[in-house]
Amino acid sequence: MSKKVVKNLFIGVLIWLPVQYGMIGIIGYYHSEPWPALVFPGFKNVYVHEGGFEIAQTRFEVLTKSSIKPIILQPQQIFSEIPLSQLPGFMRTHFSDAEAIQTISPQAVRWLERQVSGAVGNEPLSMDVVNLIGYYALGEEGAIRDSTAELQRITIRFGVR
Amino acid sequence: MKPAENRFTHWIFETFSVSAEGLGILRIFTSLVILFFLIPGQGSTHFMFLSEMPGDYFAPPPGPMLLLDGFPSYAVFQILHTLLLFSLAGMLLGYYTKTASIITGLTILILQGLIFSIGKVNHEILVALVPAVMAFSNWGAAFSIDSTRKGFSCKVNSWPLTLLALFIGFMIFTAGFPKILGGWLDPATQATQGHLFNQFFVRERDALLAAWFVNLDNVVFWELLDWATVLFEVGFLGAVVSGKWFKRFVCLAVLFHFSTMMMLNIAFLPNFLAYAVFLNWTEIYNLNLLAYRRLTGKKGEKSKKRSVGLLSGVVLILFLSLSYFSSKDVLLRGSDLMLHEVVVVSIAFIMVIFFAVRALYAVIPISSSHNA
Repeated sequence: MSKKVVKNLFIGVLIWLPVQYGMIGIIGYYHSEPWPALVFPGFKNVYVHEGGFEIAQTRFEVLTKSSIKPIILQPQQIFSEIPLSQLPGFMRTHFSDAEAIQTISPQAVRWLERQVSGAVGNEPLSMDVVNLIGYYALGEEGAIRDSTAELQRITIRFGVR
Repeated sequence: MKPAENRFTHWIFETFSVSAEGLGILRIFTSLVILFFLIPGQGSTHFMFLSEMPGDYFAPPPGPMLLLDGFPSYAVFQILHTLLLFSLAGMLLGYYTKTASIITGLTILILQGLIFSIGKVNHEILVALVPAVMAFSNWGAAFSIDSTRKGFSCKVNSWPLTLLALFIGFMIFTAGFPKILGGWLDPATQATQGHLFNQFFVRERDALLAAWFVNLDNVVFWELLDWATVLFEVGFLGAVVSGKWFKRFVCLAVLFHFSTMMMLNIAFLPNFLAYAVFLNWTEIYNLNLLAYRRLTGKKGEKSKKRSVGLLSGVVLILFLSLSYFSSKDVLLRGSDLMLHEVVVVSIAFIMVIFFAVRALYAVIPISSSHNA
């Protein structure tokens, strides 16, 4: 490559970098973060109020044929093949909107049933997707879970073939 | 040429200096790191899992992956994986190096795109960028099959390093800028501490020093970390104009990632592949050659290639062992942090400390006459 071509390449990149950053902001606001893009995550501030903080999370409660009480599973137990770095995003995309959870295809229900069955080692009857907000209190011994508020609970029934 | 234009040209072509030998070792090192630790996905099981995922969970990010209407079959993943392995082998051996490096970058990009189509993008694009950008440095000019061909040009270019530095500086800036808008500098909240709690309690990232930091209740300490993070990330872009300053910021980045690993159990290994490009590979080559010649007593022309061959073999065995123990989940059971990540980041940390001490000695010369 000649020096002139390289210089033009650099000029192009210097213009393109801020432009793509602006576009990422706009597209990300209305849809989700585009890819591929030359950005790193900003990590928003986690809300920390006086004396504690709150964290949103999702868990699953599974009923099996042999269980009396629901078995509580964390997302990483059901979707163990998904890296922990991707799991919260996966949960936000697919398990936060009630309508989206309720309208999943029979194929997806069967797939979920297989994942859950693998995690509990038993035939599952149903699974509740529970969205929570956990409140943690900051004391002298560090952070302790103070309380948990349930925001949403949606049931997925298995065995419907 | 106008002074501004002159400065611009100087910045592009003269900020970093390279040699064919140094770039040759860097190419071999980069190929081995990607081969052993940075191939997208977690192997065949992960590709099988994705290919079996129902269409409901195919949520590609805005971009080229939208052209697909679902996850491809396992065979497609296998073809891409095989192509990547072949191109990496080409890069390692220096066989059609430029083409092999570009194919490596593109294949990594496609595999990442498919993996990120579950609804979450990870910021690992540097793994694809490093081989794709460095392809234009002619890093196959030494210790390669290409270099044995008649008429092959051994002229090397340093501008790809400047381009990579610009990408890194800009990307790290984009991590810092939203933090300013997002309240990281607000003394009433401690964002780093908040993220630590999130990682520790929700994602159960409790290895290394995480538990110790969770119990560290010192507002000043946490607020200082918030400010230091923002200043470092935003300042990185400014450092791109000077090779010396950029390397200093790369050292700071290593310290930053090491502390993030110890505290939040996040290693950011892909970044280290890019940071390693800015090591003084010519000096590494010279030191290795010197050691080889002292060890073997051989001083001929052949010793140059043999010294690099021996170094590559040692690195290969080390990476193979590290990769094996890492896959066996030793030492870090129950954590998503891998052994090889901890080892690589820790070695980088030790190297930075060494550079800092060496620089300090250069500034403050300590001789025996002073002591006397």
